[in-house]
Amino acid sequence: MVTTVLIVDDSKLARIVVGKTLAALQPEWRRLEASGADEAIALFDSEQIDLVILDFNMPGRDGLELAEELRGRFPDMPIAVATANVQDEIIARARAANAAFIAKPVTEDGMRGFVSGAALRLRSAGR
Amino acid sequence: MSLHAVFLEELERDALTELVNIGVSRAASSLRKMVGEQVLLSVPSVEVVSREGAATLIRERENGELVAVRQDFEGVFSGRALLIFPQANSMALVHAVTGGALSVGEAAEMEDEALVETGNVVLNSCLATMANMLKKPLQMSLPQVMRGDGEALFSLSGQHADGGVVLFLYINFAINDRDIRGYIAMLMDLPSLQALRALIHDFIERVAGDIG
Amino acid sequence: MTQLVDTVSSDAREPAAARERLRIAQMAAGAGAVGAWEWDIASARVVADARFASLYGLDPAAAALGLPTSSFFETVFAPDRMRLKIAVAGALNGAEVFSRDYRVVVDGDIRWVSARGRTYLDAEERPVRFSGVLADITDQKRVEERLRIAQAAGGIGTFQYLSGFGTVDVSDEFCRLLGLHAAHSLPVRTINAVVRPGDPPLISGREDQTPLGPTVHEFRIARADTGEERWLACRGEYQAAPTGGISFIGAIYDVTATKQAESRLRALAAALEARIEVSTQERDRIWNLSRDLLSISGRDGIYRAINPAWTQLLGYDAADLVGVTMGGLVHPDDWDDAVAQTAGIRDGGSVADFDCRVRAKDGDYRCINWTAVVEGEFIYAVGRDVTQRKALEDQLRQSQKMEAVGQLTGGLAHDFNNMLTGILGGIDMVRRRLAEGRMEDADRFLEAAMQSGQRAAALTHRLLAFSRRQSLDSRPLDVRTLVGSMEDLLNRTLGEQVRLATEVADDVWTAVADDNQLESAILNLAINARDAMPRGGRLTIAARNVQLSAAELSKSDHATPGDYVEIRVTDTGLGMAPDVLGKVFDPFFTTKPLGQGTGLGLSMIYGFVQQSRGHIDIQSREGAGTTIRLFLPRHRGELEQAVDDGEGVIHAGAGETVLVVEDDPGVRLLVVQVLEELGYNAIETESGRDATPILQSSRAIDLMISDVGLPGLNGRQLAEIAREGRPGLPILFMTGYAEQAADQAAFLDDGMEIITKPFAIDQLARRIGAILERARKV
Repeated sequence: MVTTVLIVDDSKLARIVVGKTLAALQPEWRRLEASGADEAIALFDSEQIDLVILDFNMPGRDGLELAEELRGRFPDMPIAVATANVQDEIIARARAANAAFIAKPVTEDGMRGFVSGAALRLRSAGR
Repeated sequence: MSLHAVFLEELERDALTELVNIGVSRAASSLRKMVGEQVLLSVPSVEVVSREGAATLIRERENGELVAVRQDFEGVFSGRALLIFPQANSMALVHAVTGGALSVGEAAEMEDEALVETGNVVLNSCLATMANMLKKPLQMSLPQVMRGDGEALFSLSGQHADGGVVLFLYINFAINDRDIRGYIAMLMDLPSLQALRALIHDFIERVAGDIG
Repeated sequence: MTQLVDTVSSDAREPAAARERLRIAQMAAGAGAVGAWEWDIASARVVADARFASLYGLDPAAAALGLPTSSFFETVFAPDRMRLKIAVAGALNGAEVFSRDYRVVVDGDIRWVSARGRTYLDAEERPVRFSGVLADITDQKRVEERLRIAQAAGGIGTFQYLSGFGTVDVSDEFCRLLGLHAAHSLPVRTINAVVRPGDPPLISGREDQTPLGPTVHEFRIARADTGEERWLACRGEYQAAPTGGISFIGAIYDVTATKQAESRLRALAAALEARIEVSTQERDRIWNLSRDLLSISGRDGIYRAINPAWTQLLGYDAADLVGVTMGGLVHPDDWDDAVAQTAGIRDGGSVADFDCRVRAKDGDYRCINWTAVVEGEFIYAVGRDVTQRKALEDQLRQSQKMEAVGQLTGGLAHDFNNMLTGILGGIDMVRRRLAEGRMEDADRFLEAAMQSGQRAAALTHRLLAFSRRQSLDSRPLDVRTLVGSMEDLLNRTLGEQVRLATEVADDVWTAVADDNQLESAILNLAINARDAMPRGGRLTIAARNVQLSAAELSKSDHATPGDYVEIRVTDTGLGMAPDVLGKVFDPFFTTKPLGQGTGLGLSMIYGFVQQSRGHIDIQSREGAGTTIRLFLPRHRGELEQAVDDGEGVIHAGAGETVLVVEDDPGVRLLVVQVLEELGYNAIETESGRDATPILQSSRAIDLMISDVGLPGLNGRQLAEIAREGRPGLPILFMTGYAEQAADQAAFLDDGMEIITKPFAIDQLARRIGAILERARKV
């Protein structure tokens, strides 16, 4: 079964960069995109989504709020928060929501840890 | 021009300069990753000036139209951070940032978006690093693109009618091998400067204790 | 994307590896002149080379093995230590650029060092290593400091430019000369933008176009801060740079003063003669074409030159006036003023805005406004003809008075009719009684008629005095009498709705002002007050003595601190809003509907008070009435006693001959009757034509009584004829109204007097008696 990743970022350019980086690391993954928290939640109703990469700084609900909500619904789903806002406080909140922290700008090196960890976890969960 | 003597002592100024230096270094590192080129930084300049003074400083160096990505920050101290470069450089920067990811046509369509994302990454890394150094969190607004001359960029939303004195930090950067240069600037009004001053004192004390 | 962050190998923390890197750094720096260090962050140790150790006064062997990081600060000059710590803290926390000059103290010797370094990060962007090189810059600092002082003192800015770069290294003085903020480097564009378009750029970096070697050029700039234009010179040298390309190193300095002096000299030399010619022509043109009177006199006051305007305006040419003393043409009445005004001029003072009348060649007077200054041996005077303006001013003043008269007329007609009714009715009653032969109460009716007649006379007198056309004539003035005499007039003017109260202090001083103008002012104020009280109210006219201080007179143009008589006019009317109050003294401002007032009232009063060297003050609140206070200066000295015709003994005649000239048969009959009853011998004539032959005859005449307003020869002309043959002949003029009466002194010669109609028979008898009495004594 194909692994589906949802990329949530209000910036189209950022979605392109994340998508491109993911494609380099996991070419076979199906990539979905949403430009905000509400759009992302709606996609969860219609799609089978295995992992998410969230931008932190978005209009409306920010990435951490969305991560906390998703964590409530999907306790085991791999979640990453990507942001250039590298404040200790933000990183601590991401950890508290059991989400990985990816520093922007997103690079293959920066994303490799999360992606390989997620792939491993999904495989062991039987997907 | 140099009112800083009135507001900041030499050590405080040094410390602030260093904080900016740290933040901007991180920002430059981010930019470097985005454009895949060396990013050169100047020594930061920290001055307490009038708003017009800030505009003049930029105007003396850049006489054309400017484009800026602006991000307001709020916390124990508040203000505005700006990533500024000549309008003429805008497309070159977009091209450098998007690299091969976009066609020329797409890049042109996405000019503002690319600027916003670049500013977002650069300013966020700078401000977040400074916040970490000062051990006080900052909330950052969504970035937005502004165009105009120096005066337009440096008018702080109009509600701060405090005689127009601002703390003006700026650093100029150039991207190697491309004709791209710009400035990272920070504006703070006087109440914020006072709050910042207390944090800088803490920083100086830590430094005095930590090192040597 | 390419990862450019330096990654740190596993041997990073080995002093040996560090030493090797230091050796390479030394080589890169080119010589053994610089020391190098490497600071390992995790272990908090610093490894330094021998040169660093020597600069820092450390043991080279220990430094090579690694020292605690505190040794990086120990020998640093105390005042610089904290700043260095802060800079290092930046580097240890990821700041890329480390650059600091500071002092170290080794064996009591203070040396300047310059440290340049950078931070290396690991893959997670954590700083792991901070290394750099250290150079002794003591000599450089000393030279720099001297250079800086020399540059600032000499106003010399220096720069260094390497072709291909967008920026130029500059000195502080360089920035200052261009009006830019101090900076170490400036973009070429910024520098050249200050240069005036069209002038050669300060930095021209085109390698292929610039020959190597020294160069000098001059250019103009518009200073970046003030926009001021300055001339700068640039001296520099183009050299082949060791790194390729060319370098341009030089200095700039301000040559504006030299340039200006140069251009001034050149302009002077080239245009000196032309300028002299032009200015001479200009002066001549002004002299010849000016409509103003221009004159040059010596300090002795004798005219040396006059311009053609004198001929056009006054009819004099140079031959008439050159050699004549200034002031000979001034109207006698203006003489004293002119003397006062020009008193200081010979001592280098000046005259400005002084009006006086000057006699034209044809005898007419023109009013001239003078300005005069002394320069060197000469007095230069400019006179402008303001006759027209003066005439207009007079007309305005007159029209204002007539306006007030107009205001009065309605009430007056009514009053006059009442009085005439009293007179005519009384006379009619007496005639009836005579016809009936009943004489018992005839006296009562006659008395009533007399009283009505006297009241009518008083009213007419005031009215005539008031409407008289005359210029301001300040004289000692009894305010108490004046206010008292106006009560009747005011009561009529104000109507029944308004009650008049006068409160004049018994001891009120004599003031100095024109009584006619003061009457006019009070009357105008009363009319204004009446109009402000449409539903009636109270008008108070009060007078008292006050002393005004400089502070109270701060808004006054002419008044000086001292004693004043205050005349206060208070009403209980509508009052005025503050915005109206601010404009009341403006000419043509009026609150009255269009057509009901010229709006000159208060401004005229203001003008009168100012001219009288007094002060005016107005206070008003909406709904709370208005108070206007006039302050007139106190008169120092005696008040001339008015001629009192009401008392005194009536001299009986002793057959003296009196020539009576009067065209009105009623008056003539009356006068002749009185004379005969008193025992004089009267000769009755009705015109100058009748009287002249008698005057020229040998008949004895002791007194001539003549009307002034006669047909043909007037009374004054007749008097001239009389005096030709009879120099000492006493003359008594009778007049109802004549302009001359306004200026009795000018009108009357010695031995001439005047009596105004109407007069009581007793009054006439007393005057005739007194005149003949005096004549007998001579």
